[in-house]
Amino acid sequence: MTSQSNGAAFTRRGFIGLAGGAAATTILAACSTGGSSSGGKPIKFWNMPWGSTAFNAEDKKITLAYKPAAGLGAATYQVIQWANFTQTFSSAVASNTGPAVSSGGGTQAFQFEAQNKIAYADNLLDSWKSNGLYDDFLPGLIDTMKVDKGYAAVPYNLDMRVMWYSKSLMDKAGATVPTDWQTYLDAAAALKKIGVYGYGTAAGAGAFTGGHILVSWMINNGGGLFDENHAPNCVTSANIEAMQFVLEMVNKGYVDPASSTYTSDNAQSQWKAQKFGLGWDTAGLAQNVGGTVGPDLVVGSPLTGPSGKKGALYFPNNIMMYKNTPSQKGSEAFLTYYFQNMKPLWTKGTGIGLPPLKSITQTTEFQASANNVKVIEEWQPIARTWAAPGGNALFLGVTAVDGTPAMDTFTQGILGGKVDAKSALTTLENSIKDTLKK
Amino acid sequence: MSTNSVASGLQRARSGVGAGGSGPIGPHKRKLLSARAWTLILFAVPSLVLLLLINLYPVVYAAIQSVRNGDLIDPGNFVGFANYANILSQPSFWKAALFTLIFTVTGVFGSWLIGLALALLLRTRIPAGGVFKVLLLLPWVVPVVVSATSWNWLVATPQSPLPILAQSLGLGNVLFLADPVLAQVTVCVFKVWISFPFMMMMMSSALASVDLNLYEAAKVDGAGSWQAFTHITMPLISRSTYISWILMTIFCVNDFPTIFLLTGGGPVNSTTSLVVLAYRTVFQNFQTGPGVAIAFVMTLVLVVISVVLYRQIRKVNIE
Repeated sequence: MTSQSNGAAFTRRGFIGLAGGAAATTILAACSTGGSSSGGKPIKFWNMPWGSTAFNAEDKKITLAYKPAAGLGAATYQVIQWANFTQTFSSAVASNTGPAVSSGGGTQAFQFEAQNKIAYADNLLDSWKSNGLYDDFLPGLIDTMKVDKGYAAVPYNLDMRVMWYSKSLMDKAGATVPTDWQTYLDAAAALKKIGVYGYGTAAGAGAFTGGHILVSWMINNGGGLFDENHAPNCVTSANIEAMQFVLEMVNKGYVDPASSTYTSDNAQSQWKAQKFGLGWDTAGLAQNVGGTVGPDLVVGSPLTGPSGKKGALYFPNNIMMYKNTPSQKGSEAFLTYYFQNMKPLWTKGTGIGLPPLKSITQTTEFQASANNVKVIEEWQPIARTWAAPGGNALFLGVTAVDGTPAMDTFTQGILGGKVDAKSALTTLENSIKDTLKK
Repeated sequence: MSTNSVASGLQRARSGVGAGGSGPIGPHKRKLLSARAWTLILFAVPSLVLLLLINLYPVVYAAIQSVRNGDLIDPGNFVGFANYANILSQPSFWKAALFTLIFTVTGVFGSWLIGLALALLLRTRIPAGGVFKVLLLLPWVVPVVVSATSWNWLVATPQSPLPILAQSLGLGNVLFLADPVLAQVTVCVFKVWISFPFMMMMMSSALASVDLNLYEAAKVDGAGSWQAFTHITMPLISRSTYISWILMTIFCVNDFPTIFLLTGGGPVNSTTSLVVLAYRTVFQNFQTGPGVAIAFVMTLVLVVISVVLYRQIRKVNIE
């Protein structure tokens, strides 16, 4: 007869044995190096869900495969959800329990840099000049990370805003793909005749694309929101002309009147319902729309503005290093490894934005998407950051326009068509100044 | 018993000795707390400290933030009441306050009227009343994220069911969310739709406590249905009504997801309530001081409203 375990069987000897075992495990765990065989303290890497669930699984695999050199720590991996990510990072960094290396919001590095929490990437980038990584970055990308004291971060993935059109609807309307502002108006007019909107956009709850596109129009005309001193300078002739152009489209009925309150899903529904024939969105629109309509969507070439210039807004998301690291050398070694081995994040279709490295854009997998190739070849070289026209390097002040109430109100006002360009831009400039003035 | 002995007895009683007791009359040494009481207090201290930390610490911390000019990363410097002065001088604050008032009044009285009407209806014997009750509870039970998505599907685009219905009725292209006034109406209707089941439950329970014999007696006295409702039902459920108003006022003023998920506070801030404004100020403008100051002003107003309504409840109790 086998004995059954019960309370009485839990003897003092057994308890001492268990307690001893637990204590030994704790001591051993404390003495371990988190899986590193080389003895250094582990480098904490926090990354965001940049794509589908496959993204973080693949990303973790890459991170944990890192074999550090002797004396340097291995890397640990943590996914940080977008919900409340600012609080997650700020509380962790403030209490010195944050990561050594992380991605995050597009302007996060500049916020932490202003708080003296960022380890500049100058030495890292210098070291990449000898191993080919530095020259592998797409043109102008690294410079977007430069602040007064050094490089606040390293470009990681690109979030682009580009012009899309439905090939079948354009054919049906007898419209030609626009190349400048006048031909854009012509195409939108042709689409209107078949009951289709020629300026598809969204500026409702959580959809900031509408505002991004308005700034794209400004940049396309040689304008933008900030001058070379990083001061808001919105009421310029270039910006007024650009907004008058958008208002003209609103008044002519080329813009869906409900778009000022569309979520991203609503906008995609309109593309699916073939109510949008021409418009603006992220580089992933065709994939997001999917179905039978997705393959019909094509990225157009950048427009030439009335000033003869080309330009659009883009967001170089980045990876930053923090001063609170067990070893700066360890952080840099890990990032070097990561950038040399992150290619599968794009070649395996994990849903992350566009790659920052030329070598990845030249892979067979990436070249298979004609739209992605067009975005990288034609849009990325002419794209500018929030800092335009004063500069291209990001700075703390752009947090006053990136998804803020001031920008939302401005966008919804313009897309609603009941404001005039100059007064809307004046209000925007004053709101940005108020936000920056603390 | 002589007068002296009565006085002596009272003296004894005052000294803690029974009036008829034989103990000495003199100053009684009273222990403030017994050992048992101290033990009980010691046992309670950890819970009390925990409660204070959970409830008091965030409030105190928020109060500190409201008088500093910090952001989510940097606590900033002390600026006194500048944040309060600043927000109170902003037109956006007063616009949000007005919408909060509209949203709250509509939310409280709209949901109460529908809830009361349904509670009265469900009190009568109708077939499958229980099933109806469960179905009517659904808007309250379903998570607001799901409800907001459903409502967005109902009204957002010209291809949505309600705009199509409006079009077929000859109302043209009705922009339920893109027109500022219609967006306010839509958000308020959404709030009433979400909230009426709660009111229905509150009123149902209040009505259940009303003695049906009172109606019989009123009928005998010649009272009609309306007179019975206004002179019997309403006074007898007034306590529950005031409580439900207080609760719904708090729910409405503090309601963030209903508005934010449906309109994000737009278009052009037309549906921005104070709580949405506070959120956007803190988490989108990264200005914790003014954002928390807005929240404190809201709290103050809520306290005043609650006190006024509680006084009404006390009046009802006294009457």
